[in-house]
Amino acid sequence: MDKATSPSRRSPWFWAGNYLASSAIIVVLKLTDAITAPVAMILFLGAMGLLIPLVRASERGDCVNPVIIRYNRRFLIASFGYVLGLGIAIAVWNSYKLTGATVFALALLPTLPTFGMIWAMGRYLVEETDEYLRYRMVRAALMSLGLVLAIGIFWGFLEMFELVPHVWSWWVLPVWAVGLGIAQVVMKVRGE
Amino acid sequence: MNNRLRVLRAERSWSQQDLADRLGVSRQSVNAIETGRYDPSLPLAFTIADVFGLPIEAIFSRD
Repeated sequence: MDKATSPSRRSPWFWAGNYLASSAIIVVLKLTDAITAPVAMILFLGAMGLLIPLVRASERGDCVNPVIIRYNRRFLIASFGYVLGLGIAIAVWNSYKLTGATVFALALLPTLPTFGMIWAMGRYLVEETDEYLRYRMVRAALMSLGLVLAIGIFWGFLEMFELVPHVWSWWVLPVWAVGLGIAQVVMKVRGE
Repeated sequence: MNNRLRVLRAERSWSQQDLADRLGVSRQSVNAIETGRYDPSLPLAFTIADVFGLPIEAIFSRD
């Protein structure tokens, strides 16, 4: 097999595409009730396995930043912990009648890994020695924070006036993460 | 702020990556400074001046 096409030499985009396609298929299967929630969770954990070669492929570039490598690895571990913790918490919640401290401990299962993600982002800003890259990340984080605040406030009032359903507050992290991506695109388009 | 980074780099036949390695920053940083998208901090401006062996005012000037 030639080097360029061997699995260990594929580009990060190949693995990212496979991961997104796999996730989309799992979501469709779950939404159409073709699979149960536990099966979807197990399949999703399997799909997340594609993130390992994705991170490794991104570490093979010409000018790889060791701080980015550490950030990607920390975030990947936290992501696995999150999906695993969420799966276990939902399974236990659906199977047993729990109250009080047990429910508190159960809520910590998916929560603690998300704290790990936030910690990984914080460490990136502390460890990044390149001031321009750090400036870009801080700028993206502030733009994303603005998006979360705007959506949160608007949704809160819509909810208060009973126009929209209640949404659990953990949405802030995924929306913030999406906002980070949007901010990067905005900065690229504006040539910043 | 204006700068002569591109000219000074060309005079020495350095690529953006060569200069980035000498400064200990990313190639993106050099590109952003050269194209005026980012003004470096004072410590980085001093490092740039050291690398070229010139005073800061010979490299950077106000608009």
